[in-house]
Amino acid sequence: MTVTPSKAGSNAPAPQDLVTLTIDGIETSVPKGTLVIRAAEQIGVQIPRFCDHPLLAPVGACRQCLVEVAMPGPDGELRTMMGPPGRVKPQASCTLPVAEGMQVKTQLTSPIADKAQQGVMEQLLINHPLDCPVCDKGGECPLQNQAMTNGRGESRFQEVKRTFPKPINISAQVLLDRERCVLCARCTRFSEQVAGDPFIALVERGALQQVGIYEKEPYRSNFSGNVIQICPVGALTSADYRFRARPFDLVSTPSVAEHDSGGAAIRVDHRRGKVVRRLAWNDPEVNEEWITDKDRFAFHYANRPDRLTHPQVRDGETGELRPASWPEAFAVAARGLRAAGRVGVLTGGRLTREDAYGYAKFARVALGTNDIDFRSRPASAEEEQFLASRVAGRGLGVTYTDLERANAVVLLGLEPEEEAGTLFLRLRKAYRAGGTRIFAVAPFTSNGLRKLGATVVKAAPGEEVPAIEQLAHDGELALDGGGVILVGERLATVPGALSAVAVLASQTGARLAWVPRRAGDRGALDAGCLGSVLPGGRPLADAGARVDVGAVWGSTVPTVPGRDTDGILAAAAAGELGGLVVAGVDLDDLADPTAARAAVASAGFVVSLELRASAVTEHADVVFPVAPVAEKPGSFVSWEGRVRPFEKVLEGSNAVPDVRVLAGIADELGTPLGFQTIEAAAAELDEFASWDGERAADPTVAASPAAPAPAGSHRLATWKTMIGDGPMQDGDPAYHASGPTPTVLVSAATLESLGAAVGDQVELSTDTGTAVLAVGVADLADDVVWAPTSSGGVNLGRDLGAGAGSAVRLSLVPAAAPAVQEAM
Amino acid sequence: MTNVLTPVLSDNWDADRPWTRESYERSGGYQALDTALRMQPDEIVALVKESGLRGRGGAGFATGMKWGFIPKDNPNPKYLVVNADESEPGTCKDIPLMMASPHTLVEGVVISSYAIGAHTAFIYVRGEVLHVIRRLRAAVQEAYAAGHLGKNIHGTGYDLDVIVHAGAGAYICGEETALLDSLEGRRGQPRLRPPFPAVAGLYASPTVINNVESIATVPSIVRNGAEWFGSMGTEKSKGMTLYSLSGHVTRPGQYEAPLGITLRELLDLAGGVRNGHKLKFWTPGGSSTPLLTDEHLDVPLDYEGVGAAGSMLGTKALQIFDETTCVVRAVLRWTEFYKHESCGKCTPCREGTWWLVQVLARLEKGQGSEEDLDQLLDQCDNILGRSFCALADGAVSPIDSSLKFFRDEYVEHLRQGGCPFDPMASTLFSPVGATA
Amino acid sequence: MPTLKEQFWDPVAGFGVTFRTMFRKVVTEQYPKEKKPTAPRFHGRHQLNRWPDGLEKCIGCELCAWACPADAIYVEGASNTEDARFSPGERYGRVYQINYLRCILCGLCIEACPTRALTMTNEYELADATREDLIYEKQDLLAPLLPGMEQPPHPMRLGNDDGDYYRGTFRRQDDETGEATQ
Repeated sequence: MTVTPSKAGSNAPAPQDLVTLTIDGIETSVPKGTLVIRAAEQIGVQIPRFCDHPLLAPVGACRQCLVEVAMPGPDGELRTMMGPPGRVKPQASCTLPVAEGMQVKTQLTSPIADKAQQGVMEQLLINHPLDCPVCDKGGECPLQNQAMTNGRGESRFQEVKRTFPKPINISAQVLLDRERCVLCARCTRFSEQVAGDPFIALVERGALQQVGIYEKEPYRSNFSGNVIQICPVGALTSADYRFRARPFDLVSTPSVAEHDSGGAAIRVDHRRGKVVRRLAWNDPEVNEEWITDKDRFAFHYANRPDRLTHPQVRDGETGELRPASWPEAFAVAARGLRAAGRVGVLTGGRLTREDAYGYAKFARVALGTNDIDFRSRPASAEEEQFLASRVAGRGLGVTYTDLERANAVVLLGLEPEEEAGTLFLRLRKAYRAGGTRIFAVAPFTSNGLRKLGATVVKAAPGEEVPAIEQLAHDGELALDGGGVILVGERLATVPGALSAVAVLASQTGARLAWVPRRAGDRGALDAGCLGSVLPGGRPLADAGARVDVGAVWGSTVPTVPGRDTDGILAAAAAGELGGLVVAGVDLDDLADPTAARAAVASAGFVVSLELRASAVTEHADVVFPVAPVAEKPGSFVSWEGRVRPFEKVLEGSNAVPDVRVLAGIADELGTPLGFQTIEAAAAELDEFASWDGERAADPTVAASPAAPAPAGSHRLATWKTMIGDGPMQDGDPAYHASGPTPTVLVSAATLESLGAAVGDQVELSTDTGTAVLAVGVADLADDVVWAPTSSGGVNLGRDLGAGAGSAVRLSLVPAAAPAVQEAM
Repeated sequence: MTNVLTPVLSDNWDADRPWTRESYERSGGYQALDTALRMQPDEIVALVKESGLRGRGGAGFATGMKWGFIPKDNPNPKYLVVNADESEPGTCKDIPLMMASPHTLVEGVVISSYAIGAHTAFIYVRGEVLHVIRRLRAAVQEAYAAGHLGKNIHGTGYDLDVIVHAGAGAYICGEETALLDSLEGRRGQPRLRPPFPAVAGLYASPTVINNVESIATVPSIVRNGAEWFGSMGTEKSKGMTLYSLSGHVTRPGQYEAPLGITLRELLDLAGGVRNGHKLKFWTPGGSSTPLLTDEHLDVPLDYEGVGAAGSMLGTKALQIFDETTCVVRAVLRWTEFYKHESCGKCTPCREGTWWLVQVLARLEKGQGSEEDLDQLLDQCDNILGRSFCALADGAVSPIDSSLKFFRDEYVEHLRQGGCPFDPMASTLFSPVGATA
Repeated sequence: MPTLKEQFWDPVAGFGVTFRTMFRKVVTEQYPKEKKPTAPRFHGRHQLNRWPDGLEKCIGCELCAWACPADAIYVEGASNTEDARFSPGERYGRVYQINYLRCILCGLCIEACPTRALTMTNEYELADATREDLIYEKQDLLAPLLPGMEQPPHPMRLGNDDGDYYRGTFRRQDDETGEATQ
């Protein structure tokens, strides 16, 4: 796992930048600056190593990769690098860059290197407990493997090993066995360099050195799971996976993470039809070797007791849902939908591209409507137009690699650390490499932005537009064609903001990318799950586009523009729509959860396609169980526009994908979809060539000045934290315990006026309701507060009826019990 | 017997209150500073190069050449760091020097900083020697008050600040890059090189790190010239230096003599091995240098001479052991020191010393077989030259060399099933003439 | 023309074996009416052993399952907790199944076991009427509780940590007092 892949697609370096050296008698040319250990990999020579990791700065601590090196002297004669008088000094190949004419002898050709490596291995093992039978790493352990290939057969150590009490938690989900640690510092370097969360460090010295935490600053990171994976021994283990299985009876399947739009490659390990863990897969173009904790740990949702296993229909007499056969459910659904007349379709973020296409076609062909919207969150018509003009069907746009090459990256309405973790790591890498400056329009300098070294242009919620307009003239930013603008989905809630973004991109020539939070959103947009957008980004308003689509579908495309999510729900509540088809929508995510619940409850006929029982299935007339991501093939489209296909992980699962359910209903309706499988849906979607016709124009919505907060209240800034509440994060207590304590952030002045101290409990209230959260301090404006949208059982939309820009009131809760002290 | 001592650094140590500025200036102190400040910095570097002064901290790298590595075009500030973290077992020269005449060091610091273009200098003193830190800080204050430090030194427009930094007592911080990490407020662990400190040292800026004695020698070179300096010592190891004699010697202490003097001469000066005993083994430069025996009494104590004898001049800390000493015991104690002081960064040092101590402890108790001695040598072979920095190399030196010269004694331990020596006899408070 | 020997002696000679055998000891075994003991190292049904205090020796490491050439063993490990301890140390085998429809009784699992938890008995009657009955669960395989043993879960009785069990320190103490422990 630690072998550097050759970077596909990177430009071949000019010959003058190549260095020629000899490794084990094989001459090879590698780019200047390459480390010897990597050059050896390229000719297929594996030098054993522990501390070395291609994505971390070299440290040379473990000394396992010693090789014999000779360099040409001034006279051209090769001279072996010597150490203490008369002795060849083997060099650490993980810290030694190649040089012209260098001659390297690895363990394969040099007895000295071989003995040095065996010596180091023996030393590493003297204080290692050798408890491989109970160690989670046993069977996939670099120490175990390399001790077999490069170690002595038997240990000469007969003395006393160093022992520690085992194991200790360095966070709720990461456990540390100090005895097993070989002190390679991979975990500490990852946390410091890659994640930017340097909350673990090596402490003590000599053989008592160990990875330590600072008890006042717990190891809190959205990326902490990666340290478990890169640990070359079993020192760091996952609380969730501990003792669950052994690597040799796991079946590993490559897949794609379904929790954000990053498109991270993962490896899913399962046993007996159950996923037991997920690991990062190596994709240098996308997530490199890192994934977020959400991608790694949040997979238990598919095995919860409330998982739907069979179709249900609502019994006419009792009013209760009762199990039904598939044909019956299809028939009842078709009958109900036909009787309902006009029907709207709401889809959520869990949909794959193929399933989304199924819904897009189902709405238009089977239901004859454009009332479909994938945006199960606060959205706007301005956003719809922006997506149609700038995003839909554009294919691969700005890529991760482009971010590293960009001279500046502007983040608008986007908090990468929480909303797009993979993106955050790449931005941090770009920032650390020094070439990319990062700017953000945000209400305060979050920890995530701090780790990106971002220049924050502060804007209260609702006041982003002037700040965005100003960016074009920002001398420090100097945005030009080498820059990138990343727009988050939250900007949709600010009238005029996306219009301003389009203008900014046009003015400066900077490249633009839209970064939704959910994995399925970009795919759903491209597949046509939006009222005014047909598959492939074709505008509904364009007659040519409709003909195009109609030709593939063999039917006409309805011309009446569709409603958006809020519109569909309002129409359902008002009786303008007789029915709803709802798939994967968490009503609490919508702009007004209370109204949404009422609308679903009062809708004439509701068909729900769901994984688990939800607020929608409660009111549904027909409920179809559908397959989670691990139980079907498909693809997601990352924020880059990159299609990320994946295979079915659990081969034995009989769970049915959405497409198959839709096809069943459509058949009963007499308007067949023309496909029943994911593969067929994908093939049909691929028939849509990219749209080269006219696109929708950029939105031109004027900014409406945000109303100042009424006296005594604050304007709410909010977004979702990565580890928070949500049906797809259920089922792993250790994962949730590692998340941030839900905290309201206020300005120092506000904190003082509340008479509160950091960590105290405060009550956040609106006319709708109240919520109690801990309080923390940040560089917010005095009339602005920030709170997580949905964390720790508190959902601001559901409990307070509040969203970004809402007025909220704050008051101190008298301390009854000592408050937990943890800032976000 | 001719007196071959050449007191230069230690010349004023017998003066009245030699640590005060008045006393130092009475003996000609701070005059070299005037001379130096009238010279161009490059001229001073050239002078030091010409003098042949080599680093007195152990490695013997040419001081002038080290200064020459400082890049001129680097926009970052330049720093001088004085390594006063003297913690090598047996080494005791910098601390007496700073205790007796701290102003010698301060004057050296000003001249050296001027030569390399530094405006801030740090003296990193070992944390345990609180009395020395106090005296050095007082001297720096006095120097500020007298205008030898601070803004516009001696009216030449040259500014220099000197900061005396107390370490926290870690042997590894004597390693120059670990010292820099410690000085920056991190854990003292050696850094990866390159970049070398001359290019990116303290705060990633060009940094010169010199031993106390090297820097303290600079004023005398400026005062008396390179030729004077070169007239002492040997061809490749020029000048005078402080030899510290300790252990079973009649008059232990610091002896300042030209490089190339022999132990026989030094022992004559120091009154010989303690009465009634004879030399068994000795270290030429602290415990990190391989042991020598009475065969090596006439080895010239310069960098080349000791090197040719299979050891290193090191810090010129001559620890003298007579025949009452158990070499296994002595080596075990040293190894325990290295185990305790290993920083833990690299495997050979961290795990290797942990193991060595256990094996040696076993051998001292007479448990094991002769095969264990070969294994011990092989363990040393797997440590020497494999570690990140030189600490581990130093740790195996006494083991390697003691097995070379005193293998029989190890075997005797095993044969007898215990130590054949009376530990009491080797103590300095044992009755004179006690037999082994 | 057959010789005289061929005509008269050879037909009778064939019965020689029969007659001889009539006067020899009978080797027929009256199984299942009479059961004979097997060779002491006969590979029979497996057994999961216990420590003298009744704790299980199995640590759920699955090395037996890995070693099994017939894929007959299925194990799932789990953590011992303070409240529920099944084995010394951190880990125990929560699920342990041997499928005797697949098992070839080769004994590779025994060699793989790092704690001598899995051994083989001499029991050879491994026949049953249904497939399910031939998948032996942990409770079927565990050694019976001997006197002095206590049904897990219970705390470690023989030492403070698993090291005491594995190093056998409890046994040495017992030896001194002359007590037998196993």
